[in-house]
Amino acid sequence: MSAGGVAVPGGAAARPSGRTLDQRVFATYRTELLKLSSQLAVRLLVLVCAVGPFAFTALLRVQSGTPADALFGAYVHSSGFAVCLVVMGFAGAWGFPLIAGLMAGDQFAAEDRHNTWKTILTRSCSLGEVFTGKLLAAATFAMGMLLVAMLSSLLAGLILVGGHGLVDLSGNLQSAGRSLLFTLVSWALCVLPLLAYVSLAALFSVASRNGIVGVVGPIVIALATTLIDLIGKGVWVHVLLIGSAFGGMYGLFTASPFLGPLLVTSLVSLAWIAVCIGAAWLILRRRDFLAGSSVRAPTWHAPLRVVALTTAVVAVLAVASNLGPVGITPQRLDAAIGATFNDASLLQQRLIGRIAPAGAKLDVQPFCNRRGAKSQGPGDWLCNVYVYLPQLKSVPFQRTNVEYDVSVRYDGCYKAQSPPTFIGGPTMPDDRGRSVVNPLFVVYGCFNVL
Amino acid sequence: MEAVTATGLVKRFESTTAVDGLDLTVQVGQVHGLLGANGAGKTTLLRLLFGLIAPNAGSITLLGRALGGPGSAALDHVAGFVEEPSFYPYLSGRTNLALLAKLDGDVPAGLIGEALERVGLTDRAGSRVGGYSTGMRQRLGIAAALLRTPRLLLLDEPTSGLDPTGARAVAALVRELSAQGVAVLLSSHQIGELEKVCDAYTVIREGRVVWDGTAAQLVAQAPASAYALHTSDDDRALQIAAGIRGVRAGRSPRGQLAVAVQPDGLDALVLALGDARVAVRRLELLVTPLESMFFALSGDENVDELAPYDLAERVFAGAGADS
Repeated sequence: MSAGGVAVPGGAAARPSGRTLDQRVFATYRTELLKLSSQLAVRLLVLVCAVGPFAFTALLRVQSGTPADALFGAYVHSSGFAVCLVVMGFAGAWGFPLIAGLMAGDQFAAEDRHNTWKTILTRSCSLGEVFTGKLLAAATFAMGMLLVAMLSSLLAGLILVGGHGLVDLSGNLQSAGRSLLFTLVSWALCVLPLLAYVSLAALFSVASRNGIVGVVGPIVIALATTLIDLIGKGVWVHVLLIGSAFGGMYGLFTASPFLGPLLVTSLVSLAWIAVCIGAAWLILRRRDFLAGSSVRAPTWHAPLRVVALTTAVVAVLAVASNLGPVGITPQRLDAAIGATFNDASLLQQRLIGRIAPAGAKLDVQPFCNRRGAKSQGPGDWLCNVYVYLPQLKSVPFQRTNVEYDVSVRYDGCYKAQSPPTFIGGPTMPDDRGRSVVNPLFVVYGCFNVL
Repeated sequence: MEAVTATGLVKRFESTTAVDGLDLTVQVGQVHGLLGANGAGKTTLLRLLFGLIAPNAGSITLLGRALGGPGSAALDHVAGFVEEPSFYPYLSGRTNLALLAKLDGDVPAGLIGEALERVGLTDRAGSRVGGYSTGMRQRLGIAAALLRTPRLLLLDEPTSGLDPTGARAVAALVRELSAQGVAVLLSSHQIGELEKVCDAYTVIREGRVVWDGTAAQLVAQAPASAYALHTSDDDRALQIAAGIRGVRAGRSPRGQLAVAVQPDGLDALVLALGDARVAVRRLELLVTPLESMFFALSGDENVDELAPYDLAERVFAGAGADS
């Protein structure tokens, strides 16, 4: 060991000082990118995002069933865009919280676990710059994962299923171009709620100094959100939940697009991002960076405390979930399902070769009632759609009843399925004898709950 | 010019005051030893100097710049480590250094390789740090410090985990850097290593400075040093030593002769033994002035009242437990 060649003060090899703030932040950002890209879990997740959609699509191809409970799920055998949107739906519920947890949940806690806060904070970067660099790196990786998952699922769908147009949430067949646009826009709109989960994971990581809490925390919150979404008829709590924005984009898929939920849930995501990052920074800047006794080895005590706390919060939110105006009412569901049934019926007629002019109106009267004790709110509904068919003889019309079991989500999106007595089975022959999805067997739709 | 000026530093942890009104000055180009028993506050002081913890009171200036919080700009050209150096175990030694270099704004090409070579880690630079021994991590910590072209080095137990050759190399490196004008604040429990390199010392106890001065002042003010003495006539030597002021002599449990002498007492003893035709066959330093000073300042016992071998044993016991 020798000092030969070590730069002396003011020597020629002395490091240039006086870097600008953005240069220093960029330096911490690059180091965090390097650290994340070196981790096995991150590499595996990239692999899952890249290969998973292909595996999922291939699995769908070899079986006749469809994930019909998911929006567009009935069309996974007929449109590659449906595959991409079904993957997005699953990712919104579980995949994105997992990505956020793995990208940001261990970033801060790992410095405590490896006792490396002192290593990086004794270099030429401030705590604020490290904080910013970490968040930016986590956000970059999370968005990168989203991009990989989107491209992979889109390619898997187009290659393995095909680029046929998608039936939208009003029962209308869209062109391949519009379907692609809708699909890309939908994935892009997932960025904000994904970043909200990243911020939440970072907050868990900073506050708990425990990587398990940071990684698992967002998934637990996603689970809690899913549970709360099943109950309560009020709008406020549902709209304010961190994952609410994953459903905001579906208003774009209807014949009369509505932007209210999208705007509100996007603002909610921004608020979550601001609150989580602000809280994380306040906690981080107030702490001392001690070693030894202050290093908290990852244990399950903290996660269990988080689960207990989350359970308590879920209980409170469950009670509060009835607050605010009611988003899902029989009147709104009647109007939505009537219009969608109308358009889906016209599509069915066109598929079998009959002429059905655009904008034609059937005489349809839906009557929806919620199953169970409540008369409003998300859950299972029974809708009787009365169709009045004109007759040639003395009877002015014939009334036919189509009974739909409707599952309505908190965000106003629903899946309606009927026994094949009136509307036929899940598939039907089209005018050229090919088997196509019967648009009336499973009907998807969305209406504005705000 | 002062490289470090700490004034009135106070740091409390709940009910414990780890640093209590501490003042410290380290001059540019000086190698300054920081001594203290376990829990004396050395590590807390180094953490304060690195800005990793905030003082409850007092101020710190490094290289003329006031220290802010963690990652303060005042840390530019300040390098080193506190407690054992820590790195990312899943990355290689070279990648760890590259990562730290990025945080510093990159370093001249080749400097990482030079730093690794300088600490003898070139062969293992591609291995994950998780597989490094304590000594290898220590050497990597020194390499990481060198990347910053430091003007002030703060080193906490830099020879911990190193073999004697490695420890000597660190001492040589510190002297070399000091010769280039780098100020070094060195905390070590290996007092012998400190004595070889330090120009000045600060001894702290219970968070307070109990002695501060140059190496020359320390030698002048130190209580008795202890020597093992082998003569042609130990009984006669004992009698002679008993008559010399500032010299205490005794036998170890195994019958070996030892003397504890004040700084100017050794010459008088050797001359008196010569006058009495008692040959001095070997004179072996058991307790250095720094060790006896450290023991005197950090313990509760009166060094001047201890028998020489007791003094040596106590010093060694204390030094061994110190960190």
